[in-house]
Amino acid sequence: MTLEHKRVLSDADFEPWFEKAQKLSQLFREIGMKYDVENTFAYPTIKPFKESKIGALGIPVEFGGPGGNILQISKVVSEMSRGDSAITLAYNMHFIMFGIAMANMSDEQNKYWGGRVCGGELIFGPFSEQRAGFSGLADTRAIPQPGGGWKLYGKKTWGTLSEAADIITSSATITDAEGNLPEAFEDRVSSEMMYIADWSVDEDGNGDGVRIEKSWNALGMHATGTHVIHFDGFFVPESGYICEARTGLFSSLEWASLMFASIYYGMSQRVLEESRAVLSKKTLGAVFGAVAASDVKVAGVGHIIDGVGDMACKVEQNRRILWQTCNDLIDGYEDEWPLELRVPYIGLAKTTVAANTTHMAQKAMSLVGGSAFRKGTIFERLYRDSCAAMYQPLNADQTYTYIGEYLLQPEELND
Amino acid sequence: MSVFKDADEVYKYIGGAFATAVSDPKFIEATKGTGLVIRLIQTDPDCEMIIDWEGQKVLTGAAADGVPSSVQLRMSSDNSNKFWQGKLNFTLAMAQRKVKLDGKRSLALKLLPLTPGIFESYLATLKAEGREDLIVS
Ligand SMILES: Cc1cc2nc3c(=O)[nH]c(=O)nc-3n(C[C@H](O)[C@H](O)[C@H](O)COP(=O)(O)OP(=O)(O)OC[C@H]3O[C@@H](n4cnc5c(N)ncnc54)[C@H](O)[C@@H]3O)c2cc1C
Repeated sequence: MTLEHKRVLSDADFEPWFEKAQKLSQLFREIGMKYDVENTFAYPTIKPFKESKIGALGIPVEFGGPGGNILQISKVVSEMSRGDSAITLAYNMHFIMFGIAMANMSDEQNKYWGGRVCGGELIFGPFSEQRAGFSGLADTRAIPQPGGGWKLYGKKTWGTLSEAADIITSSATITDAEGNLPEAFEDRVSSEMMYIADWSVDEDGNGDGVRIEKSWNALGMHATGTHVIHFDGFFVPESGYICEARTGLFSSLEWASLMFASIYYGMSQRVLEESRAVLSKKTLGAVFGAVAASDVKVAGVGHIIDGVGDMACKVEQNRRILWQTCNDLIDGYEDEWPLELRVPYIGLAKTTVAANTTHMAQKAMSLVGGSAFRKGTIFERLYRDSCAAMYQPLNADQTYTYIGEYLLQPEELND
Repeated sequence: MSVFKDADEVYKYIGGAFATAVSDPKFIEATKGTGLVIRLIQTDPDCEMIIDWEGQKVLTGAAADGVPSSVQLRMSSDNSNKFWQGKLNFTLAMAQRKVKLDGKRSLALKLLPLTPGIFESYLATLKAEGREDLIVS
């Protein structure tokens, strides 16, 4: 089935869900700095997040949820990200994976797994592997078992939210009984499955046939706890098969690109907020530089006024492209796009928001001045965290490739 | 060298399978009110068909010229033979530009749930015509 984008939850009924997001956002804001420094997942957020049941916002009414749509989910993600983008990026994996899984699961699967999400459970989705990130066909092997189902062997290198999740959705390539991957490329594509299964690990990250290697150490997004996941005989029952992975991912990739766009839109709001807070008050006093005067406030300096104005424009551009793209899906405007360009056109929201936000985070460093460069300031953290925007799918380079190829393609088919 | 001798063979087997499908009550019910009219364009051998689900008719060759359609599907005749048996990975074929699909997405999606039934119809046509050689294993 495909999950239709529609308007079900009224603005009034959405309000309490947004209030939950505001509360969580406040909590994330209070503790975000601590977990950035400690470089670990923000464990105290797990209980309040699960208890809020906000993870169920998008579950359709027929499967027991309130039926929030992609725009409403985008709004709660951005609101939480305004509090702390790294902590929210972790929980964002849940919204992404629930969307992708629900768009591809059978009604029976949706009823079962949707019910669990309504109860507060969380999903994570480690798809990317070492060799070629998200676009690499899974080297993780799913070996068929005599009694049905598969045992998984391999490694996923980007496992955000693994320490808080109760459910895993991921990809693996179905092999023969001896564990050999299909040789022909087409068979390999067809044998790559998306699956869903129970996820249970102890405090040290050890579970049945699975292990979290707690090795996250990166430039930014410290509090995401994006660890390496090792599969060594992890069992997935036949009932956990969702679909052929690439078909499923590409038909519902909006859940990844628009949710990531929501993260960076929230981050851009925070960059503007923090920049205003500093730049509206900062006084330079007596200076001799581009301006030479006895008592200079930065709020009166031309390039700073323009810089803040530019930031505010970028925040508004972010909101427009993100919300309009969500509405394009909900209102069916996507019908006007060439079919092949659906994925990159949706991706444009993410690449535009990402470019605006990374630009803003860097600009804030320069407008605020050298103090922003010191460890522990919000600006250097936003700057580091914003760099992650380059990586999540679709990235800008591949978006341009898709569109350029379409525009330049010859009339003949590629046989 | 295509698996089909000429366009007439394509019309007989693929067109024949669609002719059966469009008048099948389960397809009539499933396509009611959809406005789904597919233009199927094949190369090697070159041929063109209109599959009008609501009008319950299949037009081939010159009869299909200029007839309006809501979804256009273009592929080689060999890939079409595979596709209508459920043996072509459509996502991959699209990504590699071996298949071109044009039209409104909301309409193209209406084709999806029909495909298992069309596969059955095509395989049954090939078997009934004694053309097991066209069946992809
Ligand atoms: C903070 C953070 C959290 C993340 N969490 C998750 C997670 O929970 N789950 C998950 O699955 N992933 C996650 N990712 C991974 C993210 O999706 C990867 O960065 C992504 O998969 C790209 O892979 P890569 O960075 O290894 O680059 P590669 O894929 O190795 O790319 C290298 C270069 O090749 C290009 N390239 C790659 N493939 C193609 C192609 N098919 N065609 C043309 N060019 C190509 C790229 O554009 C790039 O220039 C996370 C990333 C970050 C930063």
